[in-house]
Amino acid sequence: MRLLRFTGFTLLEYLRSGRVAIEIVATLAMYFVFLRRPMDAQYFFSALGIFTPVLALYTTAIIIGLGDRPQSYVPLAHGIGRGTYLLGLFLSACAIVIGAYGLLSLGAALLNPPVDLSLGDWLLGGLPLFLNIGLLAALMLLLSPLVLSTGWRLLVLGLIALAFSSNFIGGVLLEALPEAGRALLRAVQALVGSPLVPAFYGFQLAVTRDYSTPTAFANLLAQALLLASLLGLSIYALSRRDVMFSSQ
Amino acid sequence: MDNGDSFQEDHVTDVIEIEELHKAYGSLPVLQALSLRVAAGEVYGLLGPNGAGKTTLIHLMMGFLRPNQGRLRLLGSANLERVRPRIGYIPERQRYHTRYTAREYLRFLGQFSGLTGGVLRERVERELATVGLLAAADRSLGTYSKGMLQRLGVAQALLSDPDLLLIDEPTSGLDLAGQREVIELLANVRDRGHTIFLCTHYLQEVELLCDRVGVLAGGRIAAEARMRDLRDVANSVRIRVGALDTGLRAQLESLGGNVHCDAQGVRLSPNTPELQATVLRMLLDAEVAIIALEPLESPLERLYLWALHSVPPTSAEARGVFLPSWDLDTIAAPPAAPPSTDERPAESDTLLSELLGRSETDGEADRRR
Repeated sequence: MRLLRFTGFTLLEYLRSGRVAIEIVATLAMYFVFLRRPMDAQYFFSALGIFTPVLALYTTAIIIGLGDRPQSYVPLAHGIGRGTYLLGLFLSACAIVIGAYGLLSLGAALLNPPVDLSLGDWLLGGLPLFLNIGLLAALMLLLSPLVLSTGWRLLVLGLIALAFSSNFIGGVLLEALPEAGRALLRAVQALVGSPLVPAFYGFQLAVTRDYSTPTAFANLLAQALLLASLLGLSIYALSRRDVMFSSQ
Repeated sequence: MDNGDSFQEDHVTDVIEIEELHKAYGSLPVLQALSLRVAAGEVYGLLGPNGAGKTTLIHLMMGFLRPNQGRLRLLGSANLERVRPRIGYIPERQRYHTRYTAREYLRFLGQFSGLTGGVLRERVERELATVGLLAAADRSLGTYSKGMLQRLGVAQALLSDPDLLLIDEPTSGLDLAGQREVIELLANVRDRGHTIFLCTHYLQEVELLCDRVGVLAGGRIAAEARMRDLRDVANSVRIRVGALDTGLRAQLESLGGNVHCDAQGVRLSPNTPELQATVLRMLLDAEVAIIALEPLESPLERLYLWALHSVPPTSAEARGVFLPSWDLDTIAAPPAAPPSTDERPAESDTLLSELLGRSETDGEADRRR
């Protein structure tokens, strides 16, 4: 109950602060630029599958900034635990992005419905999308100065860079490495890149809405587990360190 | 430092129990083996300059920070998360969520503290009335002055009717009127019987509000005293009188270089019990109306400076004049080596006892004559 109240508290402050105007403008721009043309469900989910994660990155960063201020000592002093505090920020960010998703869906449904999109399809496509929004919000939370110290943040960012490195370390560059080095790099890339698989496949699942194989359900489970792991890691990290909000 | 045991004997129920607490930020030590006990119902003032670690100590007590070493128990529990609903906290800076009105804000905070329904409504209205913000309760906090925000801080801390109040620099950044307002408010709050731990660098707040004072220096409690003991001692004084004629002024000033007269009073600086008694006797004999006898230098200030800088006794004090009584009942933890036995004043070396003693002695002598 405290979690929901704190989430409501954060959301209301976000709305009243006027910061939500950015999300509103971005949502309107998204609609008018991309969703007014004749479209099918695949196009609709492709567009939203890119828009919502980007919005999630932005909104979570702003919400974290809102939570990382001296004001925040007061709710903590009133029995909001550290875990509840982080989850409240996370849920607030997700609620805003999912709200934007809802508005775009509503706009499309009323003004320019995708030709082959039923309500059932909309739910099936939305589920992996929501999980991806959560994954990105949770990753942003983990990488915030509130949760991890600078050294740890650099480490996590390094691992993420390594996970994506197969896109830019290849070809001639890779051939220049000795065989053992190439094998090691591929192994490390595969290892640290494995958490990205559910997110990428989740996007694909949202676009295709193909739940005919068990892989689809396994991926949803993987997305959910990854999300829980990221949140758990954030809560654990914050529980182990001093709470020192930014003085700004 | 042995104040722990001695206070434990004095206070059966200690609300704050801190033993050998260490806290460092990286390689920078802030608190070093700090030990402290505060009894139930006591108002404890922690004095210290900026950067001494007062806020760090309060944040440790709130569980925002983790100690590197040592023991910290509040309300009988080492689990600070569990006892937090019984603790009220007033932060140093008046930083609150300004998008809300005071009433909305207090309702949210009350809900976070587990209050609901009628109890929540009643508490919110009661505390708004306590701090005098009822009329402005529906105004956005963004329009509040610093003084109003500090009063809101008091209201939010009282919402859950806490057993312990932790107050960090309550008058910091306020103008004189605001400071007075907040001190009066806290004096009223004190009368409710909460245990209060007040951090400040304003001596006046401690003098007006506290039962006991500690000075934080070098990462530990460098000195500690009961306010009633400090109030009993004084150093340089000013005797305010109705009027002083030039003849009497000359007589008084002939007593020595430490007697300074003007038309409305006599300043004895540095003072001695003998000198003070002589001057008072002369004033009484001359039938001069004595209006007040005021300490010029607060004993608390002496204690503070002594703890902070190990200020040595002045030559007058070294002659056995007015030092605070440096025994363990008054000063639990001197900053360095305690003053030698020779420097400790006799038990009668307090302003009041000296005056009374002199009067009785003089009276006795008169009767004999």
